[in-house]
Amino acid sequence: MIVEDDAALREMLRDALEKRRHTVITAADGREALARFRPSIVDLVITDLLMPEEDGLMVIMKIRELKPSTRLIAISGGGMAGPGSYLMMASKLGADHVFSKPFLPSELVQKVKELLG
Amino acid sequence: MSDQNINRPVAGGLAEQGQNPGAAAQLSALAGGIAHDLNTVLTTIYGYTEQVLEILGDDNPEASEQARRIISAADRAKVLTGQLLSLSHRSAQEKVAVRVADVIAETIDFIRPSVPSAIQIRRMLKLPEATVMAVPAQLFRIFLNLLLNASQAIGDMDGTVTVTLDRPDKGTGAGDGEMPDSILITVRDTGKGMDTETAARIFDPWFTTGRKTGTGLGLTVVSDAIKELGGKIGVDSEPGKGTTFSLWIPSVFFGSLPEKS
Repeated sequence: MIVEDDAALREMLRDALEKRRHTVITAADGREALARFRPSIVDLVITDLLMPEEDGLMVIMKIRELKPSTRLIAISGGGMAGPGSYLMMASKLGADHVFSKPFLPSELVQKVKELLG
Repeated sequence: MSDQNINRPVAGGLAEQGQNPGAAAQLSALAGGIAHDLNTVLTTIYGYTEQVLEILGDDNPEASEQARRIISAADRAKVLTGQLLSLSHRSAQEKVAVRVADVIAETIDFIRPSVPSAIQIRRMLKLPEATVMAVPAQLFRIFLNLLLNASQAIGDMDGTVTVTLDRPDKGTGAGDGEMPDSILITVRDTGKGMDTETAARIFDPWFTTGRKTGTGLGLTVVSDAIKELGGKIGVDSEPGKGTTFSLWIPSVFFGSLPEKS
């Protein structure tokens, strides 16, 4: 599952992962992500952190509760407290890996492959 | 990404206090917001260009070379957004007079959605006007770390995190004698607590309590930040009863409440 409020980035990441034969569902914010999350079909979630409605930190917390084995990747581009603060918090809340924007999507695809084993 | 979200953690307190609401702070926030949005766009550019390169393979060296130049151009733009963010953060690193209660409130508002609903967060701020000289974002990180640790110490159980802001009692703690002009902030949780040996090592770098999450750096960062403010931090904990972190920070203004006798 990809949770990202920027439509262009969301679709690019979907394309990149579908080319690697992953089945991808997307959500434009945290609230939509939690509504669409199904423990039986979602193995990994990539989530932006600063989003309208429920933010990515909430997504990480809730999904850790709903299905603790879900692999989680946080992506973030900043904020007044600095991108490190949000990504650090995402790690503390249980994200398996974090990427600071901008990043090479090929590296994210590789990390997805590693996490899904 | 909305500007409201980007500015959420620390900007409100400054503006409300009228300490630094001027052009520099606004420019800093603007630079940070633009850099953030550009970094999102750059990630999309990187991604599609990588896909084009993959589709081209070895079939069209000229087109591949041009696609690689797009990535090089994006790399240069990445340096520029990094400089913008650096400018934004450097501006946000200046110490200003900060009302501590405002930052505590902002941190609680920030963390509340991420804390399980079975955990109450209470605040008992007897000095709502108390002011310290600090970098607002640094103060925010201190409270963020302590509140997050407190929440994680309670975990899935019912519990309470209590934040207090007061003058140190005369005759006790680091606020007496050595730091007569300090305020005392405590963050108390009703979580699982720690034994004496663990509490003694809790500020050591890389030390963790064995939880799956966390790098073991959070409290070291907090401790260093408190020292940077000229303050002190202490911990009092008992297994099964919870933990209290106490922060003594020099204050430049206490507000109108009388001093404790």
